[in-house]
Amino acid sequence: MSSVKKLLGAAVGALLAGTASVAADTIKVGVIGPFSGPFALQGKNFQAGVEAYMALNGKTVKGHTVEVVYRDLPAANPAQSRALAQELIVKDKVQYLGGVYFTPDALAITPLLKQANAPLVIFNAATSAIMTQSPLVVRTSFTTAQTTTPLGKIAVDRGVKKIISAVSDYGPGVDAEAAFKKAFEAAGGQVVEAIRMPLNTNDFSPIMQRVRSSGAEGVFAFLPSGPTTLGFVKAFNDTGLKQAGIKFFAPGDLTQESDLPALGDGALGLLTTFHYAVSHESPENKRFVEAATKAIGSPEQLSFPSVGAYDGMHVIYKMIEATDGKQDAQKAVDAVKGLAWTSPRGPVSIDAETRHITENIYLREVVKGPDGKTFNKEIETFPNQKDPGLASQ
Amino acid sequence: MQVIAPSEKLVAPSHTGAQIGRDVAGVLLIIAAGLAGYWLFPDNLALLTRVIAVALMVLSLDLIVGYCGIATLGHAALFGAGAYAAGIACVNGVTEPLTLIVIGAVGGAAAGLVMGTIMLRAHGLPQLVLSIAIVQLFHEAANKASAYTGGSDGLSGLMPSPLFGVFEFDLWGQTAYLFGLILLVFVFIVLKFVVSSPFGMLCRGIKEDQVRIRAMGAFVFPVLLKMFVISGAVAGMGGALAAISTQVVGLDSVSFELSANALVMLVLGGLGTLYGALVGTVIFMGFEHVVSSINPFHWMTMVGALLIAVVLAAPKGLSGLTDRLFASGRAKGGR
Repeated sequence: MSSVKKLLGAAVGALLAGTASVAADTIKVGVIGPFSGPFALQGKNFQAGVEAYMALNGKTVKGHTVEVVYRDLPAANPAQSRALAQELIVKDKVQYLGGVYFTPDALAITPLLKQANAPLVIFNAATSAIMTQSPLVVRTSFTTAQTTTPLGKIAVDRGVKKIISAVSDYGPGVDAEAAFKKAFEAAGGQVVEAIRMPLNTNDFSPIMQRVRSSGAEGVFAFLPSGPTTLGFVKAFNDTGLKQAGIKFFAPGDLTQESDLPALGDGALGLLTTFHYAVSHESPENKRFVEAATKAIGSPEQLSFPSVGAYDGMHVIYKMIEATDGKQDAQKAVDAVKGLAWTSPRGPVSIDAETRHITENIYLREVVKGPDGKTFNKEIETFPNQKDPGLASQ
Repeated sequence: MQVIAPSEKLVAPSHTGAQIGRDVAGVLLIIAAGLAGYWLFPDNLALLTRVIAVALMVLSLDLIVGYCGIATLGHAALFGAGAYAAGIACVNGVTEPLTLIVIGAVGGAAAGLVMGTIMLRAHGLPQLVLSIAIVQLFHEAANKASAYTGGSDGLSGLMPSPLFGVFEFDLWGQTAYLFGLILLVFVFIVLKFVVSSPFGMLCRGIKEDQVRIRAMGAFVFPVLLKMFVISGAVAGMGGALAAISTQVVGLDSVSFELSANALVMLVLGGLGTLYGALVGTVIFMGFEHVVSSINPFHWMTMVGALLIAVVLAAPKGLSGLTDRLFASGRAKGGR
């Protein structure tokens, strides 16, 4: 019993300590992300992006000190997401919300924003529809449709007329399939078969058999990053499809930098499209990679969520500047509509109408660097891509 | 009931004055704790509402695991069925909160009927495996039917109308919390009657010795199935409460993880007592919340350590521990 009491005492104490008021001139930003569990690396990238931005641009805006409060949401869990956001707003008195890795989590926060008078800057969650849920949402990541669409033309340009699509059977996979089909058929290609694979599949040889017998000249794939991607790419190589000259196209989630060491030489030659490669050559990116590597600890762990967070912080800093530290969500969001700047990923801007980021999409090939490590080499640029998912609505 | 009583030590003489007095005190304690939460943590009401929704689920799990002795790792199927039933109804224009709770209860009860019918065909480990299979099937069904459920993006756009047309479900979450608290107390009282009724006793008897109950001439399957349906209704109400207060229903509400977590909370609090279910939920979620905000990066280690400590120190759960302490206190008191 006494241990229970102590525990409760500790809980009460910790909760009360959190309510202590803060100095008037500190502006708090609440960042929700997966900082533990299987997606912890993505959360660490959020943190690295935020810390890199604050290291390079200072911790104050117009004399207001910016303080970041992190909250952990290990997996998609809208109920917990809402509870965390509510607590950040009501108890921690944050003026801005940022982060959010998964779409359902973002959708759980959007109904709160108006009452909270706080904007939400999404660092990752990549479904088009989030933006239509609240006028106080700004997004600095990408959407699956946005990164996938250029692939349609690329595939046709490389002589592929018949393609088979194989996606994991969940929201982003279905989005990717639809976006690719639309773009590929508009460019004159034909999707001969569309396979939806169960999320937990590890054995891809039957899929490869279907790819082979379909007579397609190429395969379009989308799977969540991690072990499944690894298995898919391995099966693609092992079953001889690569040697048979079948081309492989995918959005860049599949070859994110933190997965490349595990993919090894099997990844060589994979063509992917994405908004950011850690290898992007520009002075801005060089500065960013240096600072973010320092924050995350090891360069191999750096991947795309970090740049979403970095640019997200840029947007939040601009919002603080425009409102001069006063809490006015609508004014803050209005101030960044049309905002253009040079991000580590290249030139970007916030679309005034959709509040989603307009950015370059790059075609990259996995190649081996002079140090023997594989990396995504950008070989073609599709400038100023908007989100086609939103444009069509 | 009279027939089992002699062989059953745990069958308490049900409606004696002391027993009723204890139950009334227990309910008052829950109300007091709930109101204390409201006054002490006005900024954490969304969390506390979530605790209530999960507590309803753990209570319903206790009916199956604690009172009937059926091991299940698929209880989120019932919770999720209620959540999706209420969520889909809400998106399609049924926005009255009490109606939504009823819809959730019906959804959960229907899922309980299905799940019970299937699971009760097996015993022991195969039964456990079946429960996991069922929750996975529910999960996949919710993922596939994305036109109705939103799939992995979650079902969003729920706009429950104000309670009684007056109290809105807003950012601060007072309405949702008090609504949830009243629901919890109501359900708790009803369940107290259920578990101390002859039907509840029969369930306990089945847990102790199924063969004997059969030999007595009672039918086991319909009794257990009935408990499954009741449990489904309670879990469904929890799901509906979560749907109303969060305004989003995600695939996590039909996940294996949630099922397993609920079982952990129940074991933590203590099987076979309704109080244990509540205590386990509050302690587990409260502890998780506190350590995860102190250290958002490595908090899971702390939760793991707590679980190991509790299981080693109090194998019967925290409520078992308090019982033991009271018992030894009484013994020392020389009564």
